Amino acid sequence: MSSLRRVAVVGAGMTDFGEHFGLGIKDLLPMAVSETVRSVDKGFDRSAIEAAWFGELTSTDGFASGILADSCGLLDIPVTRIENACATGNDAVRNAFIAVAGGFYDVVLVVGADKVRETSARSTFWDWMGNTRDMAWDFPLGLVAPANFALHATRYLYESPATREHMAMVAVKNHNHGFTNPKAQLKVKITVEQVLAAPMVVEPFGLYDCTPQSDGAAAMLLVAEHLADRYTDRPVWIHGVGMGLDRVMHQHKADLTTFPATVKAAKAAYTMAGISPSDVDVAEVHDCFTAVELISYEDLGFCERFDAYKLVEAEATSVGGTLPVNPSGGLKSKGHPPGATGVAQCVELFEQLRDQATNQVDGARVGLAHNVGGPTAVSAITILGRHRPS
Amino acid sequence: MGSAGSGGSGGSAASVKAIATYLPPWGAGTTRIAGPDEDAVTMAVAAGRRALAGAAAETVDEVVVVTRDFPLLEGGNAAAILAGLGLPLTVRLTEQLGGASATVDALVARHGSALVIGVDLAPAGAAAVVLGAADGPAAGPAAGPAVGPAGGSVRLSDHARLNRSMPIRTRSDDGDVHEYDDPRLLRDLGVGSTVARLHAASSAPPVAVAGVSARDARSLSGGAAPALPTTGASAPLFALAALLEAGQSGTLLALDQATASTVTVSSFPGDAGLVQRDEAAPRALPVRAESSAAEIKIALSAYDRAFPAKLGLAAGRCPCCGGLSFPVRYRCIDCGSELPKELTPLPRQATVYSAVTIHVPVPGLATPYSLALVELGTSGVRTLVHVTDAEPGAAQIGDRGTMVMRRVAVRSGVPDYGYAFQPQTTVEVGA
Repeated sequence: MSSLRRVAVVGAGMTDFGEHFGLGIKDLLPMAVSETVRSVDKGFDRSAIEAAWFGELTSTDGFASGILADSCGLLDIPVTRIENACATGNDAVRNAFIAVAGGFYDVVLVVGADKVRETSARSTFWDWMGNTRDMAWDFPLGLVAPANFALHATRYLYESPATREHMAMVAVKNHNHGFTNPKAQLKVKITVEQVLAAPMVVEPFGLYDCTPQSDGAAAMLLVAEHLADRYTDRPVWIHGVGMGLDRVMHQHKADLTTFPATVKAAKAAYTMAGISPSDVDVAEVHDCFTAVELISYEDLGFCERFDAYKLVEAEATSVGGTLPVNPSGGLKSKGHPPGATGVAQCVELFEQLRDQATNQVDGARVGLAHNVGGPTAVSAITILGRHRPS
Repeated sequence: MGSAGSGGSGGSAASVKAIATYLPPWGAGTTRIAGPDEDAVTMAVAAGRRALAGAAAETVDEVVVVTRDFPLLEGGNAAAILAGLGLPLTVRLTEQLGGASATVDALVARHGSALVIGVDLAPAGAAAVVLGAADGPAAGPAAGPAVGPAGGSVRLSDHARLNRSMPIRTRSDDGDVHEYDDPRLLRDLGVGSTVARLHAASSAPPVAVAGVSARDARSLSGGAAPALPTTGASAPLFALAALLEAGQSGTLLALDQATASTVTVSSFPGDAGLVQRDEAAPRALPVRAESSAAEIKIALSAYDRAFPAKLGLAAGRCPCCGGLSFPVRYRCIDCGSELPKELTPLPRQATVYSAVTIHVPVPGLATPYSLALVELGTSGVRTLVHVTDAEPGAAQIGDRGTMVMRRVAVRSGVPDYGYAFQPQTTVEVGA
């Protein structure tokens, strides 16, 4: 990235994730933005923001960019809405990064949010489905979100040594992590036995294999290198970003045991950062369903193909292990407002790389945030570092 | 009630080239229940395809579908049925509203080669017959040509009909049913009187009776009539299949309350080979939970674009590289060519690559239900479909089965037809 400017994160914040029946999108957005502004060590005047990127999967209460500008007092800057399925959050970060690294702006805001629980729990599926499935071929099948991923998980369990117990270990781990995160939606510890005995949602996913439906917002302030010192002595640096795509329909994916979108996004991000997977100290990985975290270990290069089960068996990805994954609790425990998720992962890494995290990973220097969605056709990855990129 | 017409007889003869039956695998005893993804269109296709496969040498000029249960009363049944049968959309298809007697009427006086299908929803069943071109007056069994089993030696002749009205059961166009609770009135004054007038000149009782209960059929035939699984439009074809299998000749009597048609069947012992049955043993329909009746929307423009490939189970073949795309794509998935793709039928044998079962309530759909990603033959094409005719969760990776046309969903009132995976364990793989 020699021709690009270095980009620093100087502030980050988020709302609690949860079922915010009492809060609309116009409440959640200013809450997250104001917390982000307050997080800047040396103070921040929001009039310094030159442009904003807003990741929102589904519009609520009006068109996204206008709602962000209007609700947060940002009427005099350009605002761009990003929508890239469940990879929306990290792709919003990527686009904001590009604008600063490319020299177009010096100070930008990136926000992610979604207000999922604005429809009844069961009708959410059809309300969202029309925009996310082929209307003639997939829509009438009742291909609910868990089924999209369960098709992958079934095949993965068939081909790899992993079992439902290994999936359950992911849930137990992430609930353990989220238990102490004040922002998490499901602050409850669970056991492998409970996971396995839970009501079935879509085989092989029981209730505790699935992320909850969540509302929430998260935000970050990105600045060009020369301004970082003005705002903080402890900036976090964006080392790499990447995005990858795959065939959209399951019919056209050759191998359901992997997410090629993640493989492509990871390759792009690692290349930009000039690092290899073994350099990652802490990761926030898209665990919308437990098996997705296992498959993603392999796609991100954290282990060999079909070896993911070994990482959870050895507790390598628990806080205290060799590569802690989802110290925030992940989507599984912290919650999953799709547009906010990727940004919130970076909020967690911002705190990890400044030694401020609730479940601090000792000495973490490099962190990776990962989304996969669409349902499994898009991935976006952000790599953050404690130290200035070389 | 009263006489609305009187018996006629004669007409030209038709010959049976093939006959096929279909019963859903659900039900108990002798009563079958249509599956949740079945209707008159899909059952007509199930029986019709098998009959066509049994008479592959025939070029069918005309299709007649007889039922009282057409799903699309404002039009659209014919295109769905023809697409499911794999026949050109230019073939004449007559949607005949009627029961057992109407099917018998449809069997005679055809001018070319025809496919006649009878369908019933309750009890559920369908049967289809391919008729050869009419070729002059009927010859009696003694004079009939002694051709082989597949030669179509079965003759249908001496048609007679009498229309009378005794509507002890009525159903209006909005589905309201009224029963006039007096079965003996129908049996004696309705059926009895009609049969007496139709057969005034005939000494022999019918060998098969369609459209009445098994008990009444035995009574009217002197005990000879075969038991039939249905009582409506498909019943005479089930009766015909039974007569062919038994090598039995005689009069087939078809009744709709007090209206009747008869036809003389002349068959030979070798004719059993003309019959193909798709009649799995009945099982209890799995209990499924209906969530709130949310309306699942449809985009009719998308429905129309998908129709030929979706109902014909056909892929687009790239003229440049031969690659198959399903659904059909503008740009070839293999070589990128954007030349027009030619529709090519896909194999109907399928193997499960991955499968899942949805247990959580889904508005507008009954759960649990299973989805499978299946590979079609050796085409390299996969498709994502419902698993049908099986208990939820039954389909596993590696299982083999057949693609069958089903009503995938009802969306904004539109039956959305497509294909589903029928695991081999429930039904023998056929045409």
